[in-house]
Amino acid sequence: MRGRTRRFLLPPWWFAAPALLVYAVVVLYPSGAGVVYAFTDWTGIGDFSFIGFENFTKLWSDEATRGSLVNTLLLTVAIVLVQNGIGLLLALGVHARIKSRSLLRVIFFAPAVVSPVMVAFLWKYVYNPKPNEGLNGLLASIGLGSWRQDWLGDPDLALWSVAFMVVWQFAGYSMVIFLAGLESVPDNLIEAAMIDGAGRWQRFRHVTWPLLAPAVTVTVMLSTIGGLKLFDQVYAATNGGPGYASETLSTVLYKQAFVFGNYGYSTAIALVLALFVAAVSLVQVHLLRGREVTVS
Amino acid sequence: MTIGKLNRRGFLALTGGFAATAALAGCGGSGSDDGLRLVGVADQQKPLDELTKAYGKVSFNASYAPTDQVQTSVRTQLGAGNAPDIHVVYPGNGSAMSMAQIADANLLADLSDQAWTKKIPENFKPAFQKDGKTYIYSAGSSVIGAVYNKKVFAEAGITTLPTTWPEFLQVCDTLKQKGKVPIALGAQTPWVTQLITYALVPSTVYVKDPDFDKQMADGSATFADSGWVDALEMYLDLQKRGYFNDNVNGTTFEQQTSMVATGEAAMAIQVSAVLPDFRKAADSEDDISMFPVPGGATADQVWIPAGIVVGVGVSARSKKLAEAKKFIEFLGEQKNINAWAEAVACVPLVKDASSKIDPVLDPFLPFMEGNKAVPFMDQAWPNAEVQPAHFAVVQELLGGETTIPQALAKLDQTYRKS
Repeated sequence: MRGRTRRFLLPPWWFAAPALLVYAVVVLYPSGAGVVYAFTDWTGIGDFSFIGFENFTKLWSDEATRGSLVNTLLLTVAIVLVQNGIGLLLALGVHARIKSRSLLRVIFFAPAVVSPVMVAFLWKYVYNPKPNEGLNGLLASIGLGSWRQDWLGDPDLALWSVAFMVVWQFAGYSMVIFLAGLESVPDNLIEAAMIDGAGRWQRFRHVTWPLLAPAVTVTVMLSTIGGLKLFDQVYAATNGGPGYASETLSTVLYKQAFVFGNYGYSTAIALVLALFVAAVSLVQVHLLRGREVTVS
Repeated sequence: MTIGKLNRRGFLALTGGFAATAALAGCGGSGSDDGLRLVGVADQQKPLDELTKAYGKVSFNASYAPTDQVQTSVRTQLGAGNAPDIHVVYPGNGSAMSMAQIADANLLADLSDQAWTKKIPENFKPAFQKDGKTYIYSAGSSVIGAVYNKKVFAEAGITTLPTTWPEFLQVCDTLKQKGKVPIALGAQTPWVTQLITYALVPSTVYVKDPDFDKQMADGSATFADSGWVDALEMYLDLQKRGYFNDNVNGTTFEQQTSMVATGEAAMAIQVSAVLPDFRKAADSEDDISMFPVPGGATADQVWIPAGIVVGVGVSARSKKLAEAKKFIEFLGEQKNINAWAEAVACVPLVKDASSKIDPVLDPFLPFMEGNKAVPFMDQAWPNAEVQPAHFAVVQELLGGETTIPQALAKLDQTYRKS
């Protein structure tokens, strides 16, 4: 009886048909077509011919693309570690019973709702290289004048300046996911640990942290994917420069298509990027899921 | 509740019909009769607003966007076969939206039968024509030179403008002594990086080798073994002498503009098309003027860069080809060339008694009339990758990350790619 009711309540599958149709037209078909173009020399206009794996072999020998792959990996590792580290600390901070915690949650999360391009433009002001403006001005006013830098113009710094900007924007986002995880840690377990004489660190390490594992899985995966396909912030803040110092796979594939007119090569990069993101995500989920525990 | 009475079939018909209508509306927008579709870059809005209104014979559905957005959208539309009837086209070759690249794909209508095309000056023909056929309309040319703040020059006691490279260095030195930044450079904005090279190369390359572009094309010349070396050395010499602002790679075009407008810096090497930006930012429009950058050791060895400004073309697949071409013919009338040129402060393609040329461009006219002007270098480059490579190597040179031989080897390699 109960089974029948449930089946009755389930909507028929074809209710999803209109949405699936739109999805197929807007996402599946172009993606499939993109795979085909990756094996051509299409310039975006005019005719094209199939050139086999030439685009893919070019990808490995192309210095600029390889450099951007290294940049992308560095950016991703930095963002995943720092963003989630800060996100976790923020979450632990505002999870405590302090008065202004609701307000603080809103403030920390606020940057995540702003468009990344807007954030990049704002940070261009912060990163103004003039000695008395933006971040440099702030450093000077607190006596750290010797730390002043050309944040986006120094090839050794530009990539990290972009990473910091991304972390600033999305640490609050990680915080929210960790907070959701913290809510699910039962108070009685913490209390039991306290009675057993566990200190703050021990309670975190042996009770909270293991139970946070599902949240870690989610936020690490989201930030990894976000880092690997980072585009808007880099494009708006440095356009990949100075020189090629902050070029990422996404900015390279954009330029190959829309600036250089190498659509075939660009879709090949996009395909490799997509497969790479999928592979990394699968491995991550597998590894991180393995350490998840539940309260039973 | 009406929805309660809707049966399954009716619901399907309703939703399916809605989806189909939406899909059709999305695809078939261009079929409806809403005038000529026109897409331009932001710089073209002022003249085109004026001239489409003056034309009056057809209605226009016009839109304008920044260069990179137009490059993305119009090229995609060209590829999909639904390009606007009239759209932005860059003169010559060297970019994804340039005349030569689009004409190669047979996507631009031939304008050669129009009267104005007969008057295109000989030295500008490569910008307009491929295989002898004209594919782009443009109202004239802009120049690259030093945009300077007259007040700052006067305060530093500079009364005569430099006409040779040593004099130019002397002027910079005087300005530096007076505590001013002689030259503001916003090299974080990629396109700004190329302007100093372009300002110097006519004097270091083309004075000796007017056929340099041809030699490059047939493979008998290279960047690395040409006056390009001298131009880049002069560029870096300006930096070494401290004539630029600090942190050029972190400074943007907007900051560069404001430095000159506020008098913090004395000049910026820029294209005349951005004069309005400098004037807008200055206390008074009259504070801003321009002079040719003298890249030669003597005055007779100075040539200048003068490039055809961004223009428009007609889509070869336009359903309103005849109407669109008629509008281009209208743009080609002398009074309309004058109107467009005046709106963007460029030198008209052909002049008559009623042509008004922005007086700050006066010092450039003798060069243009004396055949001492060279089109912007990228307009002769064979693919769209050389120009961005030039931006990148200049940033690397300014950041001390590469050497001039390495930078030019990279340009040569990119040039030969196609």
